[in-house]
Amino acid sequence: MSIDLAPGRAGGLKVRHGVLVAAGGAGFANELLDALGDVTPGAIITSGTTRAPRRGNARPRMAALADGLLSSVGHPNPGLDAVLRRLAPRWGRADVPIIVNVCADSAEDIGWLARRLDMQPEVAGLELDLACADRGRGGLPIGLDLEASELATLAARAATDLPLVVKLSPLALDAREIARAVAAAGADAISAVGPLPALLIDDDRRRARLGTSYGGISGPALKPVALRVVYEIAQVVRIPIIGIGGISSLDDVLDFLAAGATAVGLATATLADPTLPGRLGAELETWRRNHGISEHRELVGTALPRRRDRGSLRATSALS
Amino acid sequence: MHLRWPAPHGLLLPVLPVAGFERTRGTITLLLDERTALPDLVRLRPADEARFEGPLGRGFDIDARARHLLVVSDGEGFARVRAALDEAAAAGRQVTFLFGAPAASEVVPSSLLPDEAEYVVATEDGSLGHKGSLLELVPVYEAWADQCIASGATSLLAALAELARGRDDRLGVARLGRRRGRHAIAQPRATRRRSWLQVALPHEAGCALGVCLGCVVPGSDGPLRVCREGPAFGSSELAWERM
Repeated sequence: MSIDLAPGRAGGLKVRHGVLVAAGGAGFANELLDALGDVTPGAIITSGTTRAPRRGNARPRMAALADGLLSSVGHPNPGLDAVLRRLAPRWGRADVPIIVNVCADSAEDIGWLARRLDMQPEVAGLELDLACADRGRGGLPIGLDLEASELATLAARAATDLPLVVKLSPLALDAREIARAVAAAGADAISAVGPLPALLIDDDRRRARLGTSYGGISGPALKPVALRVVYEIAQVVRIPIIGIGGISSLDDVLDFLAAGATAVGLATATLADPTLPGRLGAELETWRRNHGISEHRELVGTALPRRRDRGSLRATSALS
Repeated sequence: MHLRWPAPHGLLLPVLPVAGFERTRGTITLLLDERTALPDLVRLRPADEARFEGPLGRGFDIDARARHLLVVSDGEGFARVRAALDEAAAAGRQVTFLFGAPAASEVVPSSLLPDEAEYVVATEDGSLGHKGSLLELVPVYEAWADQCIASGATSLLAALAELARGRDDRLGVARLGRRRGRHAIAQPRATRRRSWLQVALPHEAGCALGVCLGCVVPGSDGPLRVCREGPAFGSSELAWERM
C-alpha cells in the first residue's frame, strides 16, 4: 500500500507508508540510510540546506526540556551544490524517497534552490521551509506573512516540477490563510509545523541558555500546537498535510491523522531512535488491518468537525 | 569514545564517556559523579540490565612511537582520559598524569589510576600538591613527553593548545618533510596521530549520532561534530579563537 503526497502532480510523491522522517531528524540522511536496515521510513526530509554555505549558530545549540527540546542549530550546511555533490549518489541508492528541505531569505534564492534540485534525479521532492528564521525579516519566519508566503511558494513553483511541500510556521496568526495561499500558489502538500520560538535562561541567570538566545521548541511539548494547526488547515485545503510536532508513538500518529493529516513526520524522536519512523509505519499498517480499515484515507480527518445536517465539514479556528 | 543511554530517556539521550574497558573480562567502565549524574544510572546494581549504544565517536590516537605520554585533566575531563591512561600503561609507555582541582577534596584518588602512572596534582588553594594552576606544571614535562592528551574545561584546553603551538620553537624541533602549504588538508587520523597535543571535548546536548549538529565546534578546516569526528581532536584541528 502506498500513499501519494502529491496526487495533483504528474508522477506524484509516493511513499510506502505515512510515517516520514521530518527535517532535522536525519541530517542529510547518509548516516541514517547506513543504519536503517529493513526498517525504512516512508520518506526522509533532509535538514535545511541553503544556497550559500552556512556555519550555523553559536553554541550551545540545544537544551533539553521536560517534554521536548529547545534548539537553535541554524541550518549549518556547505550549501546545496556541495550537499548534492557529496550526498546525491547515496540518495540515489536509497530505497526511500528523499525530500530536500530548503531555507532561503529571498525569492531569488528560492528560485535558484528549486531550479538546482529540479535537475537532480535522486531527489523526490522539495520542502520549502517557511518556518525557518528569515534573516531579512529580523529573524521572523516568512511563514508569518501572507504575501511573503505566497510569493515564496510561487517562486519555488515556477522553478521546478518536483513535488513541492510547503512547511508552515506555528506562529502564523491565521494558519488557514497561509495554507489557502500556498495551496493556491502551487504547493502539492503542506507540512505543519516547524519549531515554536522560545527561550530558556541559563542556570547562573546571567544570560539565555542558548548561544543565539532564542530557539525552537520541538518534541512532545509542540504536539498540541501542531495538532491545532493541522486541524485548522485541514478544513480549508484539499492537498495532503504532513503533520509534524512531538510524534513518538502510534497514538500520536493516529491523533494527527484524525486531525486531518495524510502523513506525519518525526524529527526529535528520530534523534533518540532512528528506527522509530519505520517501526511506527509498520505498526500503523498492522493497526489499520486489525481494525478492519481497508484504506489509509479512512483514518484521515475523522476528528474534524462536520455539519450535523449535511455531514460536510464546518470550518473552525482557534481564533473564533 | 562515548556511549548513549536510551532508557529511560526518550529525547536527548545522556552521553557517557567510556572511562575504561577490559577486553578479557568484557567490561566497560563509566565514571559517575553522584552529585550530578543521572539518578537512574547511579542506582543500577550488579545483575541489573541496562542497554547502551556505542561506541560512538573517535578516541585518542597515540603514535606507536610515543614512549612518554603526558596526560592532563581537571575533574570535569577525567572520565575522558582515564581509558587512555590504562591503555598507555598496558602498552608499556611511561605515563605522567597531571590533575588540577580547586582543592584536595576534589582530587581524584590514586586508586582510580594505573599503578604505573606518575600522578602529579595541582590545587588552587594549595591543600594538596602544587599550589596554583595545573598549567604551571605542563612546561616541566613538555620536553619529556612525546605526546600529550588532555580533557577538561575549554579554557584549560585552549591554554594547552597555545602552549603546544609554541612548543616546537621552544624546544628547537625541526620540521621534517615537504611543506604542504598553510591550508594543507590532512587525513584526520594522521593529523591527530602527528599532533603533540590531542584534546577530548565534552559532548553538549545532542543526538550523539552526528545528525542533529547540536554538538558542532569550529574546526580549522570547517565545522566538526564532537560526537562523530571527535570527541578527541588534534589541537591544530580546532579553531580555538572561535571556541
